[in-house]
Amino acid sequence: MIEHGSGAKVGSGANAVDEHTTEVDDNILVVRDLHVSYATRSGSVAAVRGISFVVPRGKIVAIVGESGSGKSTTSQALIRRLASGGRIDSGSIEFEGRDLGPMSERELRSIRGGRIGFVPQDPSKSLNPLMRVGDQIAEALRLHLKLSKAEAATEAVRILAEVGLPDPDARATQFPHELSGGMRQRVLIGIAWACNPQLVIADEPTSALDVTVQRHVLDNIDELVRRHNTSVVLVTHDLAVAADRADYVAVMSNGEIVEQGTTEQVLSAPTHEYTKKLVESAPGLASKRLTPSLTVLGEQQQSSAGKLFTHTRPAQPAGSSTASGAVAASAASSGADAAEATNILEVSNLVKTFALRRQGGGSQVLRAVDDVSFVVPRGSTFSIVGESGSGKTTTARIAARIASADSGTVSFDGTDVTSLSGEALRQLRRRVQVVYQNPFGSLDPKMSIEKIIAEPLRAFRVGDRTHRAEVARELLEHVSLSPTLAQRRPTELSGGQRQRVAIARSLAIGPELIVLDEPVSALDVSVQEQILQLLVDLQVQFGLSYLFISHDLGVIRQISDHIAVMRSGKVLEAGTAHDVMSNPQHEYTRELLEAIPGQRAK
Amino acid sequence: MTNLRKPGFVLGLIIIALAIVASLAPQLLATHDPFESVATDRLLPPSAQYLFGTDNLGRDLYSRVIYGAALSLLSASLAVVVGVVVGAVVGLISGFVGGRTDFIIMRFVDVLIAVPGVLLALIVVASLGFGPVSLALGVGLGAAGSFARVMRSQVLRIRSEEYVEAARTLGVRSPAILVQHVLPNAARPVIAMAALELGTAILSVSALTFLGFGAPPPAPEWGALVSAGRDYVATNPGLSIIPGAVILVVVLAVNRVARSIGGDE
Amino acid sequence: MTQVKAWAGYLLPKLGQFLFVVVATYTLVFVLVHFLPGDPLIAALAAKGGASTVIDPAELDALRVQYGLDGSLWQQYFGHLIAAAQGDLGVSISTGVPVTEMIARAFPFSVQIASLALLFGVTSAVLITFLAYAAPWPWLRQLLLQIPPFGIAVPAFLSGLLLISVFAFSLGWLPSAGARSFDAAILPAITLALPVGALFFQVFSSAVLEAQNSPYVFTAVAKGVPPRRIFTKHLLRNAMLPSITILGLLIGYLAGGTAVVETVFSRDGIGRMTVNAVLARDINVIQGVVLLVGAIYALVNLLVDVAYGFIDPRTRIGGGIPSRARLGAKK
Repeated sequence: MIEHGSGAKVGSGANAVDEHTTEVDDNILVVRDLHVSYATRSGSVAAVRGISFVVPRGKIVAIVGESGSGKSTTSQALIRRLASGGRIDSGSIEFEGRDLGPMSERELRSIRGGRIGFVPQDPSKSLNPLMRVGDQIAEALRLHLKLSKAEAATEAVRILAEVGLPDPDARATQFPHELSGGMRQRVLIGIAWACNPQLVIADEPTSALDVTVQRHVLDNIDELVRRHNTSVVLVTHDLAVAADRADYVAVMSNGEIVEQGTTEQVLSAPTHEYTKKLVESAPGLASKRLTPSLTVLGEQQQSSAGKLFTHTRPAQPAGSSTASGAVAASAASSGADAAEATNILEVSNLVKTFALRRQGGGSQVLRAVDDVSFVVPRGSTFSIVGESGSGKTTTARIAARIASADSGTVSFDGTDVTSLSGEALRQLRRRVQVVYQNPFGSLDPKMSIEKIIAEPLRAFRVGDRTHRAEVARELLEHVSLSPTLAQRRPTELSGGQRQRVAIARSLAIGPELIVLDEPVSALDVSVQEQILQLLVDLQVQFGLSYLFISHDLGVIRQISDHIAVMRSGKVLEAGTAHDVMSNPQHEYTRELLEAIPGQRAK
Repeated sequence: MTNLRKPGFVLGLIIIALAIVASLAPQLLATHDPFESVATDRLLPPSAQYLFGTDNLGRDLYSRVIYGAALSLLSASLAVVVGVVVGAVVGLISGFVGGRTDFIIMRFVDVLIAVPGVLLALIVVASLGFGPVSLALGVGLGAAGSFARVMRSQVLRIRSEEYVEAARTLGVRSPAILVQHVLPNAARPVIAMAALELGTAILSVSALTFLGFGAPPPAPEWGALVSAGRDYVATNPGLSIIPGAVILVVVLAVNRVARSIGGDE
Repeated sequence: MTQVKAWAGYLLPKLGQFLFVVVATYTLVFVLVHFLPGDPLIAALAAKGGASTVIDPAELDALRVQYGLDGSLWQQYFGHLIAAAQGDLGVSISTGVPVTEMIARAFPFSVQIASLALLFGVTSAVLITFLAYAAPWPWLRQLLLQIPPFGIAVPAFLSGLLLISVFAFSLGWLPSAGARSFDAAILPAITLALPVGALFFQVFSSAVLEAQNSPYVFTAVAKGVPPRRIFTKHLLRNAMLPSITILGLLIGYLAGGTAVVETVFSRDGIGRMTVNAVLARDINVIQGVVLLVGAIYALVNLLVDVAYGFIDPRTRIGGGIPSRARLGAKK
């Protein structure tokens, strides 16, 4: 019954769907050769280019892709509500045998929310901030099930209970800002399922949530699917989430489905190049400690004296300049041994509190960092992992001397730097650099790439203009970017390229320690791994030490020698990467590890 | 410049260019002496000889409008300069220094904003006397408060940008951060606002000259022309409506160009 | 009890702010009047009697006492401030009538057209926004959105004169001048409503546009909510939040606008009174008017603040902001 349009460019995986559909022959949704484009000032841009797939009744179909793959456009097209300028050019979307394309808005409205539910991406913005959450659920009930006001209110409370909100009676009368992110997402799930729809489209339902919360929310969706026999289109960037939850997977890239089939087929025997790359680089699925690439190791043995910017390094304390190379080499060969080397950074008993002012007077003290101590051995990577609100970023900022602590000490290379200020603090910047999470925010949009990279050199009056330009070009090569980018602006670069520029900039002045605050979390997975590999290579090349902050244990696993797990401002557990990962001592660490998606695929 | 492909923007630029020519070299555009009365040609409707008609003294309205540009536009421009210079400097200091200085400065700015610009201008005019310069000072002072606020919020916005913190952690000194990061990024919104303010200033200045606070009578200020024509509104409405429409067109042109600078569209 | 305490904690600082703005406005006017070059009394007398007026010094001193312009600057500053707090704004130099009395007489006329203008302006701004929101064709939407920038650029004297020449002289529907009947308030109110409505529209429509592209509206659409209900239930209230904050600013515009509009329509009112005071360089009257406008502005802002607390649950009293939200924002 399903004839994929002859023009449909589906990979070999399409056969799997065909086989499957002839078997069951009960598809709630059939998408055929769908084309969607957006009108922009420079003409029309195709976002979805001829995709076909089916959603069998009661099954979860995951659409997996990186940013710009067209997966979100697809999800919006399924309820015919595209962002402004978007339009469906051709193809059909058959829901329960009827094409949504030619349907009137009025008819569509009875389907939206009634028979097709939608779980949006961002729980913090997807609820009306001025409306009680119970009313927001009741709105759908009254529209589609024609319930009375009182009936809808009672039913809304029941739904809140069903999606796992504690104390649903009270919650129903609260406003969105009074709920946590996870709870808001549960409310949105409640709205999607309120009218017992046949199909729910979930667009990245958990990507804004912490990993442990993500797990509970996804469990909740699973449960609803089973109880109500709902079909789900699960749109996600995370192959591991798809692996855990979906029956079928369609992989999207550049507006096309490059491969689709059952989850097992796609993950265990990917046929398309892109899928293979995606499967390999997904950190949750199969990550291990990255090792420096061979070319870098070879280069390391040669003299690096010819490099321009190594001249810019400040005189290092006696002995350390020779030591750092050696330590770096040993750190690379076995990270655990590095603990015997001198510690580049020692942090002890840090405390940082914030006073939270409450409306109507009174205040509450939040201990964002609560008696945190750790050491970073020279030439190694020390990682802090934790969820939002754990205090990891504050800790890193104190360690980098961006923020100050209430008490405790930070000592760098054996010297207490806790209370440095003014010029002395500025001089410390030569040796400690920071790379930020958001590569779109940390580069001044008005500056050229060359100027950005050379900025630390200019700040410390190193070399003249031509010298600095040369150094910038050389650094671009070191981070595997073409020197031809030197005159571009940051807005012309991709996220991954920008993060490379930020790394190049942090290297310019020749630091010994780099604090990396979630340096890859804003990037697509395939880019993430390239950046992590680059960091590992640079570490060996320049004998760097890293303090690495991340919420993602998959990423942490790829780069760390030592790991500290933080929650609510406290370090719960710390040790070598191997120990923490394979033999977690604390309950929370175990929970974190279990919550990493992709367990089922192992 | 993609702006040059938009017809509205180009038309706006042409009108502004004409207004500038009229201000600097009115004799190039005028057809008559703006002060010469022809007793026989009183209150004539627009014609080929008198493009906008003539006033009650038989003077060519078109040439009076052209000659009026200088007074009207120059005092509006002076007002913007006063507003921008005072406001931008105050806002920059307030936003960049922060802390208690910021708090105190902003309370003053609150007050400047609390008094409507026109009233503030009226106080200045009443104290300094009538004329284009005191008008400009008054209108400029009225605008300074909101400029200070915009400048400050721009500085605060940029200061909280990650690239400014990044610059600090790179070891860049505060003055260098101000010059290299804050000013270049704040420039465009502030320039756009200054351009938009020019439109408002033209309106304010012409309103005040309409009320009679500008240069004394024979001077052909735009607002004064409208005011002079008021007595003939029942019989010769063009006498006030044409100069009024000229003001409207110029303000529309200025605002259109300003919005393009600000990147609104 | 705690509720009362919470309200007090919320209102008292705002009340303090209100008082501060009023006193500071007074101070600003005082400083401008006394520190800009020129003697205000001599200027006023010259305006009254012509440039050649010669006044003998003894008479001048007597006049200074009469108009409260005697004594040191400090005495004047505090004396006037205390008197103003008791409702005494001094005596007009040009007419000799107490300023409070003049204001009391003129104020109702201005309030009439200003509140009408506010009503016209805000209603039509909301209406145009809704039409643009619901417009089925993009060109219609574009056309509607072009109206307000036009409204801002029109000088009030031009729109006023146009209205007069069309509706009063050509059609004869409404009076062109006067302030005695309600009819006479309509044209001035429309004239004032134009810039006020346009200003409100700018803020309101961009708030609606922003809200329209917001995820929560997407959620509502995905729920199957019809457009009109989305506008009233979801967009309107959210867009009102940023919009009401400019009400204070609109009051300022109205105050400035009445000066022109009341002159154009030859109406009694605060604006015309101010214009006459400036022409006579009657500093006492100007001071009184500015103080009044500053107080109204501060009062409106106070009310806006309180209204905000009612509309937005996030700032509601006693609710308290959950620590997580605050912390998250800080990051």
